[in-house]
Amino acid sequence: MNLSVTWDARAASHLLSRTSFGGTLAQAEKLAARALPDAVAALIDVAKEAAPPPKPEWVKEPWVNTERVYPETTPMERMENHRKTGQRHAAERDQLRCWWLDHMARTAAPFREVVTLFWHGHFTTEARRATIAQALYEQNAKLRKHALGSFRELLGAVALDAAMMMYLNMEDSDAKKPNENFARELLELFTVGIGNYTERDIKEVARALTGWTLDAPPGTAKRPTVADAPRTFCRDGLVPTFVKDKHDAGAKSVLGKSGNFGANEVLDIVAAHPATARFVSAKLIAFFGAADPKNELRDRMASKFRQTNGDIATTLGVLLTAPEFYAKESRGTLIKSPVHLLVGTCRLLNLDATFTPSLAQVTAAMGQELFNPPNVKGWPGGRDWISAGTLAVRYHLPEALFDGKQPDGFEPLAGDRNFALPADEKARRDLLARIQAADRQRKESRKKDGFKVTFDAAKAADGTDPTDAGKLVRALVAKMLAVPPAADALAALTDAVTAVPAAERAKLACRLILTTPEYQLA
Amino acid sequence: MLPNIDRRRFLGVGALTATVPAFLAATGRALAADPKAAAGRVLVVVQLAGGNDGLNTLVPFRDDAYYKARPKLAVPRDKALKVTDDLALHPEAGGLRELLDAGHLAAVANVGYPNPNRSHFRATEIWETATPDKEVLTGWVGRYFDAECAGVASPMLGLQLGEKPALAFAHPKGRAVTLTNPSLFEWEPGAAKAMERLNAVRPTDNPQLDFLRRTGNDTLSLSRKIQDALKDTKTATEYAPFNFSQSLKVVAQMIAAEVPTRVYYVSLGGFDTHTAQAGRHAGLIQELSQGLRSFAADLKALGHLDRTLVMTFSEFGRRVAENQQQGTDHGTAGPMFLAGGAVKAGVHGDKPDLANLDEGDVKFKTDFRSVYAAVLKNWLAADPKPVLGGAFDAAPVLA
Repeated sequence: MNLSVTWDARAASHLLSRTSFGGTLAQAEKLAARALPDAVAALIDVAKEAAPPPKPEWVKEPWVNTERVYPETTPMERMENHRKTGQRHAAERDQLRCWWLDHMARTAAPFREVVTLFWHGHFTTEARRATIAQALYEQNAKLRKHALGSFRELLGAVALDAAMMMYLNMEDSDAKKPNENFARELLELFTVGIGNYTERDIKEVARALTGWTLDAPPGTAKRPTVADAPRTFCRDGLVPTFVKDKHDAGAKSVLGKSGNFGANEVLDIVAAHPATARFVSAKLIAFFGAADPKNELRDRMASKFRQTNGDIATTLGVLLTAPEFYAKESRGTLIKSPVHLLVGTCRLLNLDATFTPSLAQVTAAMGQELFNPPNVKGWPGGRDWISAGTLAVRYHLPEALFDGKQPDGFEPLAGDRNFALPADEKARRDLLARIQAADRQRKESRKKDGFKVTFDAAKAADGTDPTDAGKLVRALVAKMLAVPPAADALAALTDAVTAVPAAERAKLACRLILTTPEYQLA
Repeated sequence: MLPNIDRRRFLGVGALTATVPAFLAATGRALAADPKAAAGRVLVVVQLAGGNDGLNTLVPFRDDAYYKARPKLAVPRDKALKVTDDLALHPEAGGLRELLDAGHLAAVANVGYPNPNRSHFRATEIWETATPDKEVLTGWVGRYFDAECAGVASPMLGLQLGEKPALAFAHPKGRAVTLTNPSLFEWEPGAAKAMERLNAVRPTDNPQLDFLRRTGNDTLSLSRKIQDALKDTKTATEYAPFNFSQSLKVVAQMIAAEVPTRVYYVSLGGFDTHTAQAGRHAGLIQELSQGLRSFAADLKALGHLDRTLVMTFSEFGRRVAENQQQGTDHGTAGPMFLAGGAVKAGVHGDKPDLANLDEGDVKFKTDFRSVYAAVLKNWLAADPKPVLGGAFDAAPVLA
């Protein structure tokens, strides 16, 4: 590997492609005009100073549980409250996805969102198990707040967090029966990693974390719910609250240290452990994409992480100025995540996009539903993004973005049978006809919301004159592709674009470039 | 892919509609019939997601303990469809009974595993990885493909109709495709040609780019294969206009078109019936039963039933006693169904022992891995041991 950095516009373009959902040539040239350390410092500073996006309007202070069951709640009311609450949460989760994607597409500090997305895949929570959208929003706000700050503070914020506590069963963990779910993932996936702890450590950490639950804000008057109701039906709030009586205050031994530990002491121990520095550094390298065959970059990052007590921005600074990051082996070799692909396309082509649930669902169809990673390990990334099924969705992206057309294949084949149909032939046929009509109507109303994206040829091509098709294609290819296309592919693109009238050329060129294998790479 | 105006021009663009390169012809060959498959046999895995109420599916209709535990939800004795002296099918399972009478259905009662897990998530993982004692990242079908299908070129040995890829197929050397809807593989012919051209394989020093091009070519070839299968294959029976039935219809078309797929995977969800169970469960059983009946009739008429085996599973059964909300909570063991070619028709295993419960749940009698072992050994002619990570006697459910 050649480990000297040639810091030029192409290198700057590589940096933007990995940290900022891509950038224009002008942005890359501007960045390249500064020295590499200054350019990276500026990128980090802009990200650190960025204001958070405004809260979604449905976020309530304090959050109210609308499906609590009181002694006088009738079974019918209970069912109705449960149904309505579930529907509202589902709608809010959709809006949450749209809210984040919209911010990613518009923010002037995209690096902050890219790092937040990294932490979202690290400190995972699955919406299919932690369904309350407000808790997911609050977790997301914490990830963003601490994204480039102190790892220990980030860890503290997401450990005592409503979404995480519901997801990994910390909410009801008490001294009598410590729940080990969070303790296990804390060690295995969030900090030290496999091979650096024992089963005994998990049990001890679980004991130290007992006593935490979710409650209404302090001082709130509470109306008692029925006894023994499941959590969903008696939860009073989303505020992590310590209940001393439920805490195991005895002596524990964690990763070689002993004491009467509680949550804070355990988080101090795991955050400062040398294995955590290595584990987090390696994950950052995989996410941002740098060839590091001998773990030398990882070890330099880990050492900086420890020197700075886990300062994330400084650690990332080592990565983004590293010769390994700019080596040939690291260029154009990262498969874009679905979120990167969608947001990057909107940003790069200056698309005027309203993030509707249909548009947000496109990333799910490609294998990355925000707030709902496949499991507690998050999205594996890399080649796992690509299979025939997900690549086919990527091929349909131009239809959705440029034509506002919902590809048929994004919808299930038909609706579900929610009740048994009558045995009588005529009654059955009548009912089926009604169900099918309702299905059609639902489908149409979903599509009505559809895709609201406007493609503007001049904006997409940064004003390049389409009269010279070859020039237009070269400009778009230079802007959009991290890997230069082969000569015959470029010739084919140019021929195709030349054959249509000037006014349609930019759109056709973008359409074709989006379906190239090169465009899938950052 | 393209709006009409662009499409017409697109189709006229010679540069992008050049002759199909040689490598694509080679890919096409790889997608021809799968000579190594055991007599061209296919397996269709049907997931009943959410935890199917086994006791109300295969009903112990002579057992007073059942009626005592379920004053509101029990299937009435006179409505149950009797299949043995002790067990009957749910009244909406008429299709399953027809299959059983025709010798095409076997039910295995009380299937489970030691130390059952009652979390949907973990229990589903256990069934899909066939590894109850630890968390692993490969599925049992994925391991079967890896162990037995090394020389087979098909990139869609597994084909799932659904949204979230099933863990059963998971493997570092993935050989399965998941799609919500085969229309996903439809695009304008001009666009397909363009994509073929843009994905032309020319090895580079960028392994990710080469991987994307290879997968791109696979995708385009699959797309043709799938479209041809759906276009050319007639459906011999009517399927209900619901997602599960329609998914089975697509699977039947694929089987009849002899695409190189060995294992299909289809899900029917909604079995998590904590509240107001009776109506919803009846609808689900009706969908399962009618769907499988249509599927079997279709394949029989098309001459492919003998090479098809369906196997159902659910992550757990439900608690014996009904709850206060006319529903049932998470339980343990439940029945599996096998339908198609080589089943030993009838009910295997005894009725659940409701006098001898484990914390309110049915104790399992047959380990699900011995049913998997039967499918692997007797149907797919594969050695179950490396796939299941241990020796399990094949349950005597297949001929």
